[in-house]
Amino acid sequence: MKIEVLFPEICNLCGDLMNVRYLQQSCPELQVVETDLHTRPRFLDEEIALVYMGSATERGLELAVQALEPVKEEMEQRIAQGQLMLFTGNALDALSQGVDSDNGWKLQGLGILPTRAQYHMMQRHNSFYLGKMGEMDIVGFKSLFGHTYGAPEENELFRTVKGIGRNQQTALEGFRIRNLLATYVTGPLLVLNPPLARYLLQEMGAGDHLAFEEAAMEAYRIRVAEFAEEGRSYLY
Amino acid sequence: MSKLRFLLALWMAKLSIPALKITRHNGTDFPGSLALRICPQFLKYIGKPGKIIAVTGTNGKTTVSNLLVDLLEKNGKKVLSNRAGSNIASGISTALLKGCDLLGRPRQYDLAVLEVDERASVRIYPYVKPDYVVITNLFRDSIMRNAHPYFIADILTSAIPAQAKLILNADDLISCGVAPENERVYFGIDHLASDVTECINLIDDVRICPHCAAKLVYDYRRYHHIGKAHCPQCGFASPQAQYLAKNVDLEQGTMELQEDGACYPYRLITDSIFNVYNMVTVAAVLRQLGFTHQQISADMAQSAITATRHSQEKVGDVTLIKQMSKEKNALAGSRAFDYIAHRSGCKELLLMMNCLGDTHHWSENTCWIFDADFEFLKDESIVQIVCAGARRADYRLRLLMAGVPDEKIICEADEFRAAEKLRYDAGDDVYLLYGTDSLALAYRVYDHMKQQALLRQNKEGQA
Repeated sequence: MKIEVLFPEICNLCGDLMNVRYLQQSCPELQVVETDLHTRPRFLDEEIALVYMGSATERGLELAVQALEPVKEEMEQRIAQGQLMLFTGNALDALSQGVDSDNGWKLQGLGILPTRAQYHMMQRHNSFYLGKMGEMDIVGFKSLFGHTYGAPEENELFRTVKGIGRNQQTALEGFRIRNLLATYVTGPLLVLNPPLARYLLQEMGAGDHLAFEEAAMEAYRIRVAEFAEEGRSYLY
Repeated sequence: MSKLRFLLALWMAKLSIPALKITRHNGTDFPGSLALRICPQFLKYIGKPGKIIAVTGTNGKTTVSNLLVDLLEKNGKKVLSNRAGSNIASGISTALLKGCDLLGRPRQYDLAVLEVDERASVRIYPYVKPDYVVITNLFRDSIMRNAHPYFIADILTSAIPAQAKLILNADDLISCGVAPENERVYFGIDHLASDVTECINLIDDVRICPHCAAKLVYDYRRYHHIGKAHCPQCGFASPQAQYLAKNVDLEQGTMELQEDGACYPYRLITDSIFNVYNMVTVAAVLRQLGFTHQQISADMAQSAITATRHSQEKVGDVTLIKQMSKEKNALAGSRAFDYIAHRSGCKELLLMMNCLGDTHHWSENTCWIFDADFEFLKDESIVQIVCAGARRADYRLRLLMAGVPDEKIICEADEFRAAEKLRYDAGDDVYLLYGTDSLALAYRVYDHMKQQALLRQNKEGQA
């Protein structure tokens, strides 16, 4: 059973790659394969339990899109067939229509998600996030140059309880299209949310054992309670 | 009108200085802050010394600035600096206004050495145009403020004036890419016996060629992306350093600095490579200013690197060590952990690199701890790790993920009680790791650690 990490040489900001390490520590049988910018993604040709891509620099996003553009249609087919994929942080923007930035920089995205981001380069957005995925509490952080706009009010990954969704006007956060999971929540999402890590492991068919479960659950419970406290603002 | 506004701002700011002294608030940036509030273009009009050296970069800028000022003053130069204040626009304004007369004309300074925050450079360099910009290095810093180092490199490129000469770290390909059109010289450290080729750190931000995106090959690598690399595809390579430290011997405390093929002996005033970089940076700046190697070497040997970030003392049978490890900064943590793991002897650690300010109103973004190399702390020489504060459970989880056995880890919310849970075994080095946010608390906790260490030994003596 394999997890494919797309472009770890550039998509590795914010501690994102710890998501993969945590899954691997939870299920040591999982094999982690890394695909670089110059290699055809393996999930197009072989069975991959989970495809993961993390946050990147702006240049990194351009390179990631360039690498995926030639296989975009095959990628969409795999998504339609139910390939399990997780994109965290601004990796979501690579899947989107694109990014417009107030400094003139633009990104033409892959166009898989019906949304477009607006970056404000000198006004970084920092917030914590408390949401729900079904009955599951989700906690995390956003540290981004902006938000994403224009998507229909559907296909969300999380419902926001406290924090900012895709943008300030919606409680919907991220996207879920079949088994493609994409969220603006940055960093070690699965480490911070052991129930979500367990859910993904189960979806992958990798059992339901969590590494350091007691420690992970303790940190998770503390954070969920802390974020939910009245008077604690989600905005930094 | 603008000039009148400037003079009003200057006078009000100058008036505030004695007022602050009387109320024992000197050392703050209030005068500069007030001046900027009254006259947003204050930096444009305030007089500046004829020569300005700006020191910026992720790590080492304070050490480099302070050492530079010390050595210049040792040589009789009158130096204006922002040493006593901050490195943002208000701190620079405060320093400059203190160095001016009532009409805003600069007093008789030979030059200014200004430590400048990277992000603040966009507000400073349009008005304060440095002759030299020193960039110590560019690493990941707070993701909340600085995002990633290439973002900071872009900010610097857009802000640094075209006429400024850059003094850059040849071993850091990120800062080497700043303001490519500007004139530049490089400093660096030659291959060391401890260098590797494959990165052992989590943060490795220069894996691909900045020109063609092919995988870079490192001829040697010190830590993270610091080292010498080349691209096998397009020929891109690290630049040659005009000022190159060679034969660095941390045990003997010696190195040579090579320039134009000749080598000059230097005595090290540090036992860490990080500070050797700072020494070489200062030497490079002073060479640019016309000092001889003999002068620099002799003066440097009599100097000290200010121990604000690392200090130690023997308390009974243990050595207590204060080690700063800036919160929200994975790189700082990694460097501190690496340093501690590689020191000889047994170590006990108290981790309190928490953002105390965030604890009450927000909740610290802990992504940085998953970028930091906690893996160094699984070293057998580290016998106990006490995790304190609001993020203790996060530290514990991260330590477990790094391979530290659970039996070595203790969690305690209260920092003082955490200090009581350390073992203080005879002969151990007992570290307190703290951040800038927890500075005041850290000093009090450290005092408590001292009491505990003595108490523990008295008890053992009586037994």
